[in-house]
Amino acid sequence: MLILRILQSEALHGYAIAQRIHVLSSEVLVVEEGLLYPTLQKMLVKGWVTAEWGISETNRKVRFYRLTPAGRSQLKAEIAGYGRMTQAIQSILRTA
Amino acid sequence: MGELWRRIVYLFNRRRLEAELEADMEFHREMAARAGQNNFGNVLRIREQAREAWGWTWLDDLVHDLRYGARILTRSPSFSVIIVLVLAIGIGVNVSAFSLFDMVALKPLPVRDPASLLRLERRSPNAYTSEMAYPSFAFYRDHARTLSATMAVLGVPPIQIDNDLQSTSASFATPNYFTELGTPAAYGRLLDPALDSSSASQPVVVLSYSLWQRRFDANPSVIGRTIHLNRKPVTVVGVTPYSFASLGGQGPDLWMPIAEQPYLIEGSKVLADWTNSSIRMWGRLGSGVTAKAAEQELRALTDQLRKQHAEAVWDNEFIQSTPGGHLQVFQPEMYRVAAMVGVLTLLILAVACANVGGLLLARGITREHEISIRVAIGASRSRIFRQLCTESILLAGLGALTGIALGCSVVHVAIVRLNAPKWLSATPDWRVVLFTIGVMFTSALFFGLAPALQIARQRQRRTTLRQVLLAAQVAASCVLLIASGLLVRATQHVLFNDPGFGYEGTISIDPQLGQHGYSESASKTYLNEMETRLRTVPGVRSVSLVRLPPMGHIVSRENREINGHKMMLYPNWVDPDYFQTMQIPLLLGRTFHPGEKHSVIVSQTFARWAWGDQNPLGQMIPGDDSKDIVVGVVGDAHVNALNDDDAIEGYWAVQSDNMPNMVVVARFAGPPSAVATGARSISESLDPRLFPEIRPLKQLYHDITLQIEQIAGIVSLIGMVAILLAGVGIIGLVGFSISQRTKEIAIRLALGSSKPRLCVALLKQFGPSIASGFAAGTLLAVFSSKFLRVALFGVSNLDPVGFAGGIGILFGVVLFAGILPARRAMRLNVARALHYE
Repeated sequence: MLILRILQSEALHGYAIAQRIHVLSSEVLVVEEGLLYPTLQKMLVKGWVTAEWGISETNRKVRFYRLTPAGRSQLKAEIAGYGRMTQAIQSILRTA
Repeated sequence: MGELWRRIVYLFNRRRLEAELEADMEFHREMAARAGQNNFGNVLRIREQAREAWGWTWLDDLVHDLRYGARILTRSPSFSVIIVLVLAIGIGVNVSAFSLFDMVALKPLPVRDPASLLRLERRSPNAYTSEMAYPSFAFYRDHARTLSATMAVLGVPPIQIDNDLQSTSASFATPNYFTELGTPAAYGRLLDPALDSSSASQPVVVLSYSLWQRRFDANPSVIGRTIHLNRKPVTVVGVTPYSFASLGGQGPDLWMPIAEQPYLIEGSKVLADWTNSSIRMWGRLGSGVTAKAAEQELRALTDQLRKQHAEAVWDNEFIQSTPGGHLQVFQPEMYRVAAMVGVLTLLILAVACANVGGLLLARGITREHEISIRVAIGASRSRIFRQLCTESILLAGLGALTGIALGCSVVHVAIVRLNAPKWLSATPDWRVVLFTIGVMFTSALFFGLAPALQIARQRQRRTTLRQVLLAAQVAASCVLLIASGLLVRATQHVLFNDPGFGYEGTISIDPQLGQHGYSESASKTYLNEMETRLRTVPGVRSVSLVRLPPMGHIVSRENREINGHKMMLYPNWVDPDYFQTMQIPLLLGRTFHPGEKHSVIVSQTFARWAWGDQNPLGQMIPGDDSKDIVVGVVGDAHVNALNDDDAIEGYWAVQSDNMPNMVVVARFAGPPSAVATGARSISESLDPRLFPEIRPLKQLYHDITLQIEQIAGIVSLIGMVAILLAGVGIIGLVGFSISQRTKEIAIRLALGSSKPRLCVALLKQFGPSIASGFAAGTLLAVFSSKFLRVALFGVSNLDPVGFAGGIGILFGVVLFAGILPARRAMRLNVARALHYE
């Protein structure tokens, strides 16, 4: 879900995704490479993202991952689901 | 769908995508290193995990396993070749049996819309005939709405072309026969409803391709020529195609329109006689109609017909439909035979699988080292299990390929030898291929699963499974050999035993008076004259009349329940001299007075079942409402049921209304041709329109026993294959287990153990499994041998000699197969063996 959200605004390469999550979460979350690439592959197969060639800031040819319409709707669905879940947890925490 | 598509795209672009993934991760690592992090982890491992997301890991593994398996197989080629051959025999036997079944019962005829063809037969709860009367056929044809077309074929005795010595087979067919099947003519035209429907049409005949080649030198100008059939001029209009597919596998050489029948068989009233069941009927379902619906409509029509012509319909009669678009219409008894053959061939497969399983298990021990290394470097048990299973499937696949080739060549030989219809070919169709694939996986499961499990758990030194496989092999071979033993006995019985009647020096002469419209009195005069004149022919000893001659075209039988036993009664109508002519001994009482009523003569077995030790004379047949009194008992003579030991016969005296259907039998000394010529010239002078069918019974009997011999030969061959397989398997197993104990043998020999005693000690371990195999096999044979009843001629299915023979041969082979490798072990060079260790 986080990867999808990060990719919503622009296409990024793998390292940048990891960095962005790290920075945006105020350095709380660290995306392990061992998780990132298998997940990206899974998302490619599911058709949520596509990959295209681009030039990195270090002038290297790398693949940029871009969200597809299917990915966008998946993101929406996941955010909605997540919202419901956190609300539920919150309400339990409040009453308990 | 999109996801599946992407996955497939990934599968085909694997190389490139993997390189891309690698580049991505390489870049990631560079960047991370620049930022001062250095914990990327195992790149290969992560890449593998990422790849798993594509969902093709199993395929990679499979390809890898197959490659590895192929390497293992080529490493020990002789071992692999033996396994593949054993499997090929096991699978090949099954494939050929199935292809024959497929050809006969499953393959659709190459005709127009074979699926909608129906074979229609008369049935009632206790009667059955494959033929019906022509007027009944016409009634169904005119009234059935569910059938879009009906076809009928009337088979007649062979007909003489011009002045040929040999007569030619012939059938009359409804003129729509060929158009309905969509058969094109090879030359000229075939029968045509527009031209051949009326008896006033010009008489025509269609030749079969093979007759055209044989008799007319494949000359196309024969079309339009006039030939003489039974001395009547007929015009040849066409030739059937080379690979003509006829209904019900009937292949006469002459086809004529049914309306022409009274012309060719002069005086015949078959087409108008409601009680003369003589045509075979087929129908074609109308579009969208089910066979059930058609049967229901025909049932209603049968009831209507009963009201109009009670004499044409039995009690509770109905018309049964069976799919007609195959080579043969399968009757329930034929399914029994097919099942029996299927069980026997599956037993062969079982022997082969048990054999291969044992060999694989034995080889597992030599692979111990390899497997323990693979386990040590992290292969999971399930992974190794999968690897072993892949190897088994590879072996089974090779076996199946060889087997299908083997099976099809056997079928090819069978087709050529049996003179099958030309449209059949041995090329496997999709059913055979599917069957082979099924057999392949089943056998892989049988021979591969248990060894793979045991090897993957690294328990290959356990011997239990090996013993079980050995026992299974012995048991299956035991059943097969007992079956062939019984069949060989049955053949011997038929060949060397008296069938209960004198078939040598007997001839049957069927003048077919009824078919030529003879009345009762005319028939009587004709037959009297024929009998009197035949008696004067030199060499003729005895002449008599019978309604159903031995080994004749028509067999009549009734289900009877006698004292709670289901029996098959073969009734016959004979005149007083029949028993003397056929040399059937009169055991009790007397023969008939001519034309006697309300009396019956029964066969010995009949009398024994019905009255036990009581005197049967003067009794009435139990459960029979005719009140006929038994006047005599004769010996068993299954003249029309040579293979049915449970058959019983009842004879009634000929009545005058039987006369048009009577057949003359004559006993003679000397060559049959002299009597046949004599009979023919008598018939010629009595009525030149008649062409009696003359058949020497010895020849017929010989043909039937030849068939029996062939069946026994085939089953014995299957038994031999089984015993060969079992022998090879046992030699292999014993040899292997002995080679495992070389050191022990050498030490024992060095310490002065006597060779025979050591031999016994070595073989002892196989004793229990072989003994239990024999016990299980014999028990199985005892219970299953009743399925063989149909093929056992005059031998009990528990015949002790058959059983002992089968078991004895197998025991000999097993003993030989055990001692051979053991003896070789005894010749071992002790010093070298010990040194080697």
